[in-house]
Amino acid sequence: MGKYEAGYFGEFGGRYAPEILTEALEELESTYRKLKKNKKFQNELNFYLKNYVGRPSPLTYAERLTKEWGGANIWLKREDLNHTGAHKINNAIGQALLAKHMGKKRIIAETGAGQHGLATATVGAMFGLETIIYMGAVDVKRQNLNAKKIEMLGAKILPVTSGEATLKEATSEAMRDWALNVKTTHYIVGSAIGPHPFPTIVRDLQSLIGKETKKQFKKATKQLPDAVVACVGGGSNAIGMFHDFVKDKKVKLYGAEAGGMGQKPGEHSATITFGKTGFLHGTKTLIIQDTNGQIVPAHSVSAGLDYPGVGPEHAYLSTSGRVEYRMVTDEEALASFLEITRLEGIIPALETAHAFHVAKDVAKKLGKKKHLVVCLSGRGDKDVVEVLRILGGGKHE
Amino acid sequence: MSKIKDYFANKTNKSVFVPFFTLGDPHYEASVKYGQTILDSGADILELGIPFSDPVADGPVIQRAVARALKNPFDFAKIFQTTKQIHSHKPDRPLVYLTYFNPIYHCGVASFLDQAKDSGVEGLVIPDLPFDTQESEDLFAALEKRDMDLIHLITPATTKRRVQALKKTSSGFIYYVTSFGVTGERREFSLDLEERIRSLKEILQLPICAGFGISSPEQASQIAHYADGIIIGSAIQRIIEESGADTVACCQKLSEYCLSIRNSFP
Ligand SMILES: Cc1ncc(COP(=O)(O)O)c(C=O)c1O
Repeated sequence: MGKYEAGYFGEFGGRYAPEILTEALEELESTYRKLKKNKKFQNELNFYLKNYVGRPSPLTYAERLTKEWGGANIWLKREDLNHTGAHKINNAIGQALLAKHMGKKRIIAETGAGQHGLATATVGAMFGLETIIYMGAVDVKRQNLNAKKIEMLGAKILPVTSGEATLKEATSEAMRDWALNVKTTHYIVGSAIGPHPFPTIVRDLQSLIGKETKKQFKKATKQLPDAVVACVGGGSNAIGMFHDFVKDKKVKLYGAEAGGMGQKPGEHSATITFGKTGFLHGTKTLIIQDTNGQIVPAHSVSAGLDYPGVGPEHAYLSTSGRVEYRMVTDEEALASFLEITRLEGIIPALETAHAFHVAKDVAKKLGKKKHLVVCLSGRGDKDVVEVLRILGGGKHE
Repeated sequence: MSKIKDYFANKTNKSVFVPFFTLGDPHYEASVKYGQTILDSGADILELGIPFSDPVADGPVIQRAVARALKNPFDFAKIFQTTKQIHSHKPDRPLVYLTYFNPIYHCGVASFLDQAKDSGVEGLVIPDLPFDTQESEDLFAALEKRDMDLIHLITPATTKRRVQALKKTSSGFIYYVTSFGVTGERREFSLDLEERIRSLKEILQLPICAGFGISSPEQASQIAHYADGIIIGSAIQRIIEESGADTVACCQKLSEYCLSIRNSFP
């Protein structure tokens, strides 16, 4: 790579953003570099993570799943128990603190499933920052509970109607807002995507998922797990879970991406399986695109996975072979959603349900006495209405 | 010497007019007519947009234009053919492509540049490819080999250090983004516009064209007093949006508008 190394993971990553954003990205990078080493900042961050988010999140042994699947022991890293119900809050708190340190009084964010929008609106309320959330008009409908919560928290939702009106368009619109308001505003990117330094910042802020898991798992079993599984949209919960395990070569790492309704372009969001190297939203990564380099609309039953790109570090981990990525169809995810709910009394997010489908297969192949951890990235309250709609209504309609 | 450099060296007006529109809006046949009409109505350098599905540096008017253009099956052969037809109408006026990096990357840089050059294109503007990337450096070298130019964007937020750093790999002219945000018509510009442009000219020794937000003859006239060129996109694209379905009527409106801008220049 030569002189342009900062922010790359192998050939992926970098900073391919409009010139108007460069100064803000450089400011963010240097602020972050300073604060990362600053004890006071880290203490402040840890204070909120402990007393507001409720960390560390538990590591739960899933007894019934283990029995039912008849393979490896299943453990769940409970990001669903965080305040606001997903891993997204870890990143939102960290970046809101960064925003405050940079003197920015307005924060913006993009959201698909609404979990990142909800997390951002929450920290916006807590820190007293003006908050704007860009959300695809389709997602405002299918994730209506989150949309309502976001507004109740005092943030403003700006529905995006262009294109497929989902996460990709919301991200473009947030970048445009940032270009206009870059002096006063911090853009809290919600996944491990975007121009450098976002993929690194988001990964660092989420890496406590894997660090806690390791500690908790070692305490319970005095060893490392054999396999770890997480779902991959942009890839923030997955990279947070994987990061500390990457160096432990014996631990197998699996990412679950959305296989949607089929394998034709437009039917899925299986970026790593079908994507080709390209440039989108400020980063060089794997992207679902046609032969002319036009981005193909993504699809997934879960709004949070419905994105045609993936964080550049995942693109790297897949080409280097360290992580195995598999796709899971809408149907398989829905089946897992119901199975986990009924066997463990935990309603997982539809995004997470993808990870469970992969976990089931891996656990069976690993066999008994082995151990597998699933990152339970979020809870599924937000998805209940949508799942019932797809499955044809509940019993008490 | 590049054709663009030549053009600025020999210009008779104080400032040149650089209009922009997206190829394929509403269809490629109309684009040929619109391009030719705009060239007939005072355009010095014509910027042609190659549609990209996710134009993050563009405002609503150009976003809608791109969406309309992409309703036609996108095809590079068609883009180059349309460009050629526009070029052959006034071969002395340099054409410039404005597009995002992903389509160029996928076409293959060398193949894209050869076909672009062959179609009459003399330079590229790529809003999401910063100069300080390996790809930009490689692209600059590939363009230089073909006597084509890489036109960098500089914004009110670009630091002095970056301006110095981009000196090495910029040519043709500089696209000076007059305001924060994305493309679109605006009523006001930053107060230090004139000063910024003058100082950039001195540092870079390149013509500076101002764009993003300019729409009225009054604005154009005022800025043309100190900028080497005026770039107008959204205002032209709006005319195509409003009357593009009727090619004859649209040509008439484009012609009137472009002449009003050109005639406002000092
Ligand atoms: C619960 C949950 N899991 C996973 C994701 C996917 O995002 P990421 O891949 O960044 O973890 C989302 C996104 O909204 C989510 O809400």
